[in-house]
Amino acid sequence: METIKIAVYGKGGIGKSTTTANLAAAFAEQGLRVMQIGCDPKADSTIYLHQGRPIPSVLDLIRSKGNDFTLDDMVTQGYNGVLCVEAGGPTPGQGCAGRGIIAALDKLAEKGAYERYDPQVILYDVLGDVVCGGFAMPMRGGHADWVFIVTSGENMAIHAAANIATAVQNFQSRGYAKLGGLIVNRRNVAREMEKVEELAEDIHSRIVGVLPYSPLIQEAEEQKATLMEAFPQSEMADCCRRLAEQILAVCREG
Amino acid sequence: MNQATRLLSTYTADVSGVCSALYELGGLTVMHDASGCNSTYNTHDEPRWYDRPSMVYISALKEIDAIMGADDKLIGDIVAAARQLQPRFIAIAGSPIPMLIGTDFTAVALEIENQCGIPTLGLATNGMHEYLSGISMAFTALARRFCRPAQPASGSGRPLVNILGATPLDFSVTGNIEALHEAFRQRGYEINSCWAMNSDLDQLANAGAAQVNAVISSAGLALAQWLQEQYGTPYLVGVPWGRLGAAAYFDALRQALHDGSSACFYSGLSGQGSGKQGLIIGEAVTAASLKAALLLQGGWSRIQTACPFRDYASLLGPDDIALEDEKQIRQLMEEADVIIADPIYRRFFKNGKQRQFVDWPHEAYSGRIYRRQIPVCIEEHLDLWQKGWLKEK
Repeated sequence: METIKIAVYGKGGIGKSTTTANLAAAFAEQGLRVMQIGCDPKADSTIYLHQGRPIPSVLDLIRSKGNDFTLDDMVTQGYNGVLCVEAGGPTPGQGCAGRGIIAALDKLAEKGAYERYDPQVILYDVLGDVVCGGFAMPMRGGHADWVFIVTSGENMAIHAAANIATAVQNFQSRGYAKLGGLIVNRRNVAREMEKVEELAEDIHSRIVGVLPYSPLIQEAEEQKATLMEAFPQSEMADCCRRLAEQILAVCREG
Repeated sequence: MNQATRLLSTYTADVSGVCSALYELGGLTVMHDASGCNSTYNTHDEPRWYDRPSMVYISALKEIDAIMGADDKLIGDIVAAARQLQPRFIAIAGSPIPMLIGTDFTAVALEIENQCGIPTLGLATNGMHEYLSGISMAFTALARRFCRPAQPASGSGRPLVNILGATPLDFSVTGNIEALHEAFRQRGYEINSCWAMNSDLDQLANAGAAQVNAVISSAGLALAQWLQEQYGTPYLVGVPWGRLGAAAYFDALRQALHDGSSACFYSGLSGQGSGKQGLIIGEAVTAASLKAALLLQGGWSRIQTACPFRDYASLLGPDDIALEDEKQIRQLMEEADVIIADPIYRRFFKNGKQRQFVDWPHEAYSGRIYRRQIPVCIEEHLDLWQKGWLKEK
């Protein structure tokens, strides 16, 4: 099976990390080897796959050990065997977070992570908007093949999603990732689905799945777990499973 | 602060390595860098600049272009220049600013090539690695792009050899490469290609036709490994410095040719008996080959090679050292009777009755300052140079 490589983008706070971690758990449930790479200086993308415990980020390892560390220091196994990596970033207010993402992903490749773990699905969970070259790194050649954008019907989320879609479109001549579609993470705002459908039309894309608003997400976070782990029998968990199926179908169709 | 360099200089960077590697091949090399005092690539580090034209340009990156990530401007400028100059290929390489703003050179190269139809290489140099990595990156990118399936041998019956790792940064332009070619010819070999001095792009593209590859500097190793993977060509690491060194080298080359195995000709040699204690500082392959040549002549109890590039430490012998810092260099220099190194290292040399510092200028380190003193050391030329410094003592 060819590795399916997906980058998840969207406005800050829209629920990318939560959605990505639940997708990772849903893919793992299908028996797939999954790697989730958090591309955010906060290094908390995979935290609920680890019962709320932070893991060392790649940039922290580089900062503290130079090159004297192994793949096992960078890649840890989380819930249901999901391979977790956090790129990390500089001290807030200093350095360059975008450049940090590039350095971290380069280091992961240099240490042979993809060959050794041979993941069948790789999920890049990317901070906010494509604000600079660094945050476009996960969609560059050799990384993700598909970009999925998480949005709600909130105006700012739609605006950010449109910007990200434009960036993906602009990069097509470079052989970067293709836009797979939109994931609606509902906030129950007025005309929510209508607005997202309009967005999908504007950017010549599609809605690949809808996650209804559910208080179980917050309850799972209270338990320091993903929803898939805390409430596997819930209807919301089934929604995540369906979304995972739909995403796989899009990627396999090409 | 152990790694601080207070008295010594630094070796030139990957950016100059790229320019040096591609200089003679008819390509358009564009360094994506700010304009200003950046003639380093093609004046301080490039002795051929004065009498041999080459299309090396700077993109003149401006602050606002860096902030705005104006790749389209860069691409447009290069495409316009390429349409006018019609180079054989284009190479676009980076400097610290593009590294920090995350310029994707592979993607930029793809866009340039799509627009003007000229093969384009994107080389992600950043000015923070040593020159050898830039040369190595340029050679392997060229090989991946241009080397074609092996053509039948020329029919001369002589074994074809590729020389890998030749740039003025390690060999200058004082005659070493010409003497090296002559040494191969005298021993019955035909030079199939020389990466990348005195050969053109077509010769390089036919590298797969050679029966053996000669890796004469660390910068040629990755290319040799790639050629071995692609064509099964064995390689020998080393330089035939000195008469005895050359004899051992060409024995090893014959062996590599005969049994198809790759090797490092100097790896088994170590000091014996009594005599002086030597220290040679320099690039791993050239320095370790010089050590082998001198040990074979005798009169040494021990010679150590000290290499300032840790990434290439695997090409050193068991007794040799990958240098860490100035403190270590100073200590090693105090322990040796004879030090052979670039004249800049003299700053740490303490005179003594039994002690001698032999100047062995290295273009990648001191540039053109001591170029006239760079000796030719291939085969018997080494003996002449050695006579000179023994007399001096």
